[in-house]
Amino acid sequence: MKIVVTVKLVPDPNAEKHIDPATKRLVRTGVETVLNPYDEYALEAALQLKERAGGDTTVTVFAMSPESLKEILRKALAMGADEAVLLSDAGLEGSDVWATSYAMAHALKKIGFDLLVVGGLTDDGSTGAVPGALAEQLGLPCITNARKADIADGKLHVERETDTGYQTVTAPLPALLTTALTFGEPRYASLKGIMGAKKKTISTLTLADLALDAPVGESGSKTELVAFAPPPVRGKGRIETPEDGAAGAKLIFDFLKEKKLV
Amino acid sequence: MKNVIVYVEHRHGATRKVTFELATQAHAIAEQLGGKAHAVVLGAGAARLAEALTAYPLDVVHVAEDADVDTYLLDPAVDYLEAAARAAGPSLILIPNTLSGRDVAGRLVARLGAGVAADVVDVKIEGGRVACVSPKMGGAEITTCVLKPADFGIATVRPNAFAAQPGGAGAAIETLAKPAGKSYAAVVDSDVEEGSGELALEEAPVVIAGGRGLGGAEPFDTLLKPLAEALGGAVGASRAAADAGWVPYSLQIGQTGKTVSPNLYIAIGISGAIQHKVGMRSSSTIVAVNKDGQAPIAEFSDLVVVGDAFKIVPELTKLIQAAKA
Ligand SMILES: Cc1cc2nc3c(=O)[nH]c(=O)nc-3n(C[C@H](O)[C@H](O)[C@H](O)COP(=O)(O)OP(=O)(O)OC[C@H]3O[C@@H](n4cnc5c(N)ncnc54)[C@H](O)[C@@H]3O)c2cc1C
Ligand SMILES: Nc1ncnc2c1ncn2[C@@H]1O[C@H](COP(=O)(O)O)[C@@H](O)[C@H]1O
Repeated sequence: MKIVVTVKLVPDPNAEKHIDPATKRLVRTGVETVLNPYDEYALEAALQLKERAGGDTTVTVFAMSPESLKEILRKALAMGADEAVLLSDAGLEGSDVWATSYAMAHALKKIGFDLLVVGGLTDDGSTGAVPGALAEQLGLPCITNARKADIADGKLHVERETDTGYQTVTAPLPALLTTALTFGEPRYASLKGIMGAKKKTISTLTLADLALDAPVGESGSKTELVAFAPPPVRGKGRIETPEDGAAGAKLIFDFLKEKKLV
Repeated sequence: MKNVIVYVEHRHGATRKVTFELATQAHAIAEQLGGKAHAVVLGAGAARLAEALTAYPLDVVHVAEDADVDTYLLDPAVDYLEAAARAAGPSLILIPNTLSGRDVAGRLVARLGAGVAADVVDVKIEGGRVACVSPKMGGAEITTCVLKPADFGIATVRPNAFAAQPGGAGAAIETLAKPAGKSYAAVVDSDVEEGSGELALEEAPVVIAGGRGLGGAEPFDTLLKPLAEALGGAVGASRAAADAGWVPYSLQIGQTGKTVSPNLYIAIGISGAIQHKVGMRSSSTIVAVNKDGQAPIAEFSDLVVVGDAFKIVPELTKLIQAAKA
């Protein structure tokens, strides 16, 4: 069985991020790039499924990203992925959900898979819409927010989180699965994993390999960022250190009264 | 884009306030675009809910009370929505920004070749184009994203961003025909609801949220719940509290949980990590109770009271109860 995991390379989630007024894209300089945290959970799920399936099951990670960030994929290889494929082309810059899913779908078709594991969200774009769009582009059943998954009799059995609780769902393979964080904490790369990752292959695809029928990148996108601004500043808040609980309670109570909240 | 279509999320006919917010907003946008406001309600309980929707300023409510919608994971719903959109003609589709709303939005992006604006808090019509306002980069930038001229566009809308206002002449209810020739693969074997009957977090005017600082499940019941009840609000939590199993994940607030923007948010024993902040930073007033005056939450709270939650919260609840009596 071949499992492919999509990973996006994103600016450090804990860093302050800004948009460049000239290009209207995220400023990446001076900010470390990392694997999108949500995709580490997806990778963890794929590695668990591989371990349980045994045999000749493999895990491939796939990223669509500038070539300069290629080496960041070593971390995924060190965690246990077998190989990596990067789709990289200047023509992809500025792609929105539609263009991203369209280009990714073509690359993923070329790579081939039985199961596609996708993160639930990106820390930078945060649309959460790419998985659904990808599933449609690839004609796959789409099972999102999995906290447990198993493969039996060629079918995927999933327990998934919903807005109000959870569901169990069954679907035939090939399928697209996204993971909730409750699937399990991503593993750390072992020293052996890190050493081994140096010998694993990261291959590259470009748009020329995909023969797309429609434009991608900024011109092929269906949305356009036209303006951005920082949010209105909140007045600096008060910090109070009362002498005891009752005084603390009184402070809050008076504040709420003043704001007409009680 | 001329018309507006609202995707109505519900469970057996029970829906959230966001549905009525979108129904109200759909009318306002459709009027500016010179089109009609539609809603699509699918699955068990749809007919009953459609009746309730006629109290809002919509032109047509499309209904399909089809068991397949609940038997299969989203596929039939996406088919119905696609069919309704194609029948209505060029439209902006409004979808609540929830877990399943994001899924529906993604699927429709590919089906309709549409752009999507995510986590939208405002929609403006500028020169006939639809411009969507969304906080991005953890709220550090407020972006305006235009849906390029095309037949269809999609916005996933944050609950509580718009007011819900009944009115209008009473929508026509129309039955949607079942899209032909489809087969569905992903079967829902069981569907469990947790923590039902409580006020939905996203629509609560007051949220009392607890974090790791509470140290266990019990304080959520003994400390937070009475305060929430006294203020007419709901209890929420940080991921640390949900991960520890103290509260169900459906109470989690933040990037991977609910996005809330109540009038009042009280964070108790929550440090204010960036992933938590993005889910609550647009609350009108933020109060924090924390042992540590240096915790990140202090940077975006209107009032921080430094001290022990176990000493402060019960006293506060008493003061509020006494004021109400
Ligand atoms: C991919 C990803 C997604 C995430 N998504 C979310 C999300 O959606 N929501 C979310 O909340 N987090 C999320 N997180 C986790 C987030 O980074 C933080 O770890 C989490 O929010 C911390 O929760 P906390 O504030 O309750 O705990 P802590 O950070 O441990 O803070 C506890 C606070 O309680 C205070 N305290 C302790 N005892 C008391 C007392 N007796 N009285 C008063 N104060 C006390 C302490 O001073 C401290 O400030 C995510 C993380 C990742 C990596
Ligand atoms: N450029 C990309 N390269 C690889 N995977 C991506 C890319 N963009 C999105 N994804 C995948 O789609 C998921 C959801 O992304 P989004 O819809 O942008 O929040 C991510 O967690 C990734 O797994």
